[in-house]
Amino acid sequence: METASAKKTTKKDHRKVILEGYKNYVLEHGSAPKSVFKFAKDLKMKEEEFYTYFTSFESIKSAIWVEIFDETIRQVESQEIFREYSAREKFLSFLFTWIEELKKNRSYLLSLYESKSQTLMNLPKEAAEFKDKFKDFANEIILEGKETEEIASRPIISDRYDEALWFQTWFVFRYWLDDRSPRFEKTDAAIEKSVNLAFDLMGKSALDSFLDFAKFLYQSK
Amino acid sequence: MPDKLKEQGAIPVTKVQRAAKFFSTGAKVGGNYMKHYAKKMVNPSMDKEELHLNNATDIYKSLSELKGSALKVAQMMSMDKNLLPRAYQDKFTMAQYSAPPLSYPLVVKTFQKYFGKTPEQMFDTFTRSAVNAASIGQVHKATKDGKELAVKIQYPGVADSVSSDLKLVRPFALRLLNMNERELDHYMAEVEEKLLEETDYILEVQRSREISEECGHIPNLKFPKYYDEFSSERIITMDWIEGKHIKEWMDTNPTQKAKNKIGQALWDFYHHQVHNLKQVHADPHPGNFIVQEGDQLGIIDFGCVKVIPEDFYQGYFALIKKELLINEDELNQIFYDLEFISDKDTDVEKAYFKGVFKEMISLLGKPFHVEKFDFADNQFFEQIFQLGDRISNDKMFRKSRQARGSRHGLYVNRTYFGIYNLLNQLEAEVDTTKPEWLK
Repeated sequence: METASAKKTTKKDHRKVILEGYKNYVLEHGSAPKSVFKFAKDLKMKEEEFYTYFTSFESIKSAIWVEIFDETIRQVESQEIFREYSAREKFLSFLFTWIEELKKNRSYLLSLYESKSQTLMNLPKEAAEFKDKFKDFANEIILEGKETEEIASRPIISDRYDEALWFQTWFVFRYWLDDRSPRFEKTDAAIEKSVNLAFDLMGKSALDSFLDFAKFLYQSK
Repeated sequence: MPDKLKEQGAIPVTKVQRAAKFFSTGAKVGGNYMKHYAKKMVNPSMDKEELHLNNATDIYKSLSELKGSALKVAQMMSMDKNLLPRAYQDKFTMAQYSAPPLSYPLVVKTFQKYFGKTPEQMFDTFTRSAVNAASIGQVHKATKDGKELAVKIQYPGVADSVSSDLKLVRPFALRLLNMNERELDHYMAEVEEKLLEETDYILEVQRSREISEECGHIPNLKFPKYYDEFSSERIITMDWIEGKHIKEWMDTNPTQKAKNKIGQALWDFYHHQVHNLKQVHADPHPGNFIVQEGDQLGIIDFGCVKVIPEDFYQGYFALIKKELLINEDELNQIFYDLEFISDKDTDVEKAYFKGVFKEMISLLGKPFHVEKFDFADNQFFEQIFQLGDRISNDKMFRKSRQARGSRHGLYVNRTYFGIYNLLNQLEAEVDTTKPEWLK
């Protein structure tokens, strides 16, 4: 029993060592390491040992994204008031906290993504797992929003709301990469404004009444 | 204080969108003019008030969606009533009471940024929604150890957007204020400087404390206490001042005695600042004053403080004296010093502007010329408006190639117009005290 838990901690540590080592390498060299062999050697680790935890550098990058996401969720959920929030506020709270977590890794993220920030419309492969997890979270919010009628159910479109929120999250990330304002105040403003817009669009609006009316006219002709 | 404000829908996001917002309003204003002239052809007796009302509504709508500095400019314009036709005034006065609030998660985030704690961790209670809007922030009500507090939180990014927002407002102000470009830029530079100062909450706390200590001896005034441990660059915590805004208070039909008491407190407050401290709370808009139980005047928001330079002070008030005992040469010198006229003017212009300014100042100085002045007298205000109207429509003025009046004058004038207007609203009769040398 004891050995098992001891084993587990060393295992965890190895994983952490690799993640930290990777970040440090990127920070110091300004780019990703060239080969797993060299990277493992620098960490005083055998190459095959590396593969027990990660299969490639891609999977490390992916794990870093997921780690940031998990930490964000842990933090927002630890706030008591989070449960009382409306869907809109929950999503705002998520983004604000997420940006704080990103900030802790800003240099790392900048060296990997800054040069590409203009073309970031297409998602890097390593963010796919983060995206899946994010969508689960987003769907929870959307479901809740639909229950409270904060979000309108519309045929076809409303199934894509999670994509829309993802797109927005990614927009915020890009905005933040380029943000040069003190304390990233502009990112805060961008989050506030874009989330308000998104939720206003998802909410019941004049558009729904218009479509309903148009449908009625069409059908009753 | 007003009830909960409605949370706003979409706020225009980028600069382009904000510009678009302004542009569409511009188009509407143009449209209103068209409508006006079309109607006028049919019905020549139609007066311009209706046009102004249409314009004011459209402009106000656009400004209130922008918040931040644009809102601030609206406020300033609503202050300078002498510059604005009546219909604009009422609309803009609304801007002083309502702006869309920030979401609660952003409030929490701002607290975490500056204190590392959530509002709930810092206070015993804290309202989820804003109870009131300040021009560049919003106010939440909190309690701590049985004390009621007002917590003002600044919108993020306001300091950054001051300059660009002012550029956006410029074409509007040009049209509305009927000024030429040079004059406007002159005005805008001072406004920009003051706005940037206003985003500095640390400075505001310091000044609030200074002025409230200096004015603590004046009867019937109440100042909130400020709490450093709960204040930072973007957050100010002070005592909650319970009471009514002047307009609301007037609706309760106070006695003339009560009105005079409040009016006198207001006059004394400014008298002490202008003549003794030489720095003044230069934002006398109605939202910054609260009438409390027992007819006490509460004063909040020292975001805008104007320091009055000594030489400007001497010149300005020398003109307000009842009998100008000084000779022509001295008078000319004062006009030069205050930048009312300059060497660039022709003789005709000099004579014209001197005449106008003398008339303006003697009118504004009227309350100073008597022992007691009744501000309920609307005629006095009609005269000011008429003069303002006449001047701004005068060809000489509009063609003038330069700005008139020193930039210090902008705020001092604004302050006095502001006080006069408040006193007029209060229908108060006050002892218009003045320093010895002005008597």
